[in-house]
Amino acid sequence: MDLINELEALGIDTQDALKRFSGNSSLYQRMVGKFPASAADLEVASFIENGDLATAVSNAHTLKGVTGNLSITPLYTAYTEIVNLLRANEPEKALKILKDTIPVQEAIIACIEKNK
Amino acid sequence: MDKEKKSTILIVDDMEINRVILAEGFKDNYNIIEAENGKEAIELINSRNDISAVLLDLMMPVMNGIEVLKEMEKSGASDHIPVFIITAADSESLLMDAYNLGAVDVVSKPFMMNFLRCRIDNVIELYRHRTDLESVLEEKIAKLNLINTSMIEALANIIEFRDGESGEHVKRISSLTKKMLTALSRMYPEYRLPKEEIEKISAASTLHDVGKIAIPDSILNKPGRLTPEEFDIMKTHTVKGCDVLSNVTNLIDEDIYNYSYDIARHHHERWDGRGYPDGLAGDEISLWAQAVSMADVYDALISPRCYKAPFTHEVAVKMIYNGECGSFNPKMLEAFNEAIGKQEPNK
Repeated sequence: MDLINELEALGIDTQDALKRFSGNSSLYQRMVGKFPASAADLEVASFIENGDLATAVSNAHTLKGVTGNLSITPLYTAYTEIVNLLRANEPEKALKILKDTIPVQEAIIACIEKNK
Repeated sequence: MDKEKKSTILIVDDMEINRVILAEGFKDNYNIIEAENGKEAIELINSRNDISAVLLDLMMPVMNGIEVLKEMEKSGASDHIPVFIITAADSESLLMDAYNLGAVDVVSKPFMMNFLRCRIDNVIELYRHRTDLESVLEEKIAKLNLINTSMIEALANIIEFRDGESGEHVKRISSLTKKMLTALSRMYPEYRLPKEEIEKISAASTLHDVGKIAIPDSILNKPGRLTPEEFDIMKTHTVKGCDVLSNVTNLIDEDIYNYSYDIARHHHERWDGRGYPDGLAGDEISLWAQAVSMADVYDALISPRCYKAPFTHEVAVKMIYNGECGSFNPKMLEAFNEAIGKQEPNK
């Protein structure tokens, strides 16, 4: 229960997500619990900095899908924009949004880890 | 309690989180199987026959969703398995590619589970209905084909009763014609015929002598040489065959009808133009009529007739090559040679 409330406070639309999980709250929490590992695997910033835009798009795109399905709305909105900018060949703008997003993402990950 | 066997949904996504959501949403009504990438998905699709829908992510490692669609199109799997693309709103051109490769629908992540369930249930139901209809149709077509074949056999049998030849004669002609045309197709690309057409010609060949129904018994079964006048009447069995066939137009498959009409009329034409009834020469004579006339000549030589004893296979072949039975297309002779090389020795 704590996790759900805390996530809600961080801007995550847990009611919307629960509908997607067919109302199965424990399954939702278990899957949210997997998000920190996914976010670590799917690093985006360093690929933009090294000019590997293909990998950057692919990772940002996957994160967009996952955060969308978990209704982590602030991150979903950010990754949607990052994917669009990278596809429009605007890596600097994408990187700027990403840098703004990282603290938000870290706060969410900290919250998830704390409640494990 | 639903006693019907549950159908199976294949979920393909490299992210476990996405697979779990879909599996949770569909597990009550379907068996769920999962794949982490396109390669695993194709292996499952090719090895199972119970998959009624595929929920497919586009961007995946090893093998992506577009490649999966291409494979499914190539193997024909997408004809009977609906594929839903479940993706985080991709570029327009990528989604168009997916549709063009046979995806039935594109669903964006994050999706609304209750709507997704309705859409997928509906499409699976639609495909099931279509498969049922197709199998009903196949049964009907099989029945029609059976009637068609029986009709041709019945006609062919009637002639056998009239002229007292063994029922094996038409079967041998049909089988030799098929072997000759198959050999000809292999040896001479310019004379190549598709396998299905050769099957139809082989069926049509059994009717080559259908016009003999209209020849008087005294001539048809005369033990001895025919007088020139009698032979002229005998020759009319070709044209009369066409008259008989034109009365049963609607009873026979259109293609088989067209072949049998041509064969009945022209199976006594000769390559040098000295045959009958029309005196056609060379390639004016259709390949099928050429093949049947050759098969007919050979079979007549090796069979006992009311006016002669049977010749041996060797003598028959020699007579044909010496031109004693009229001239034939040299390429058809080669095909004949190939075909009889593979014939069972005459009993």
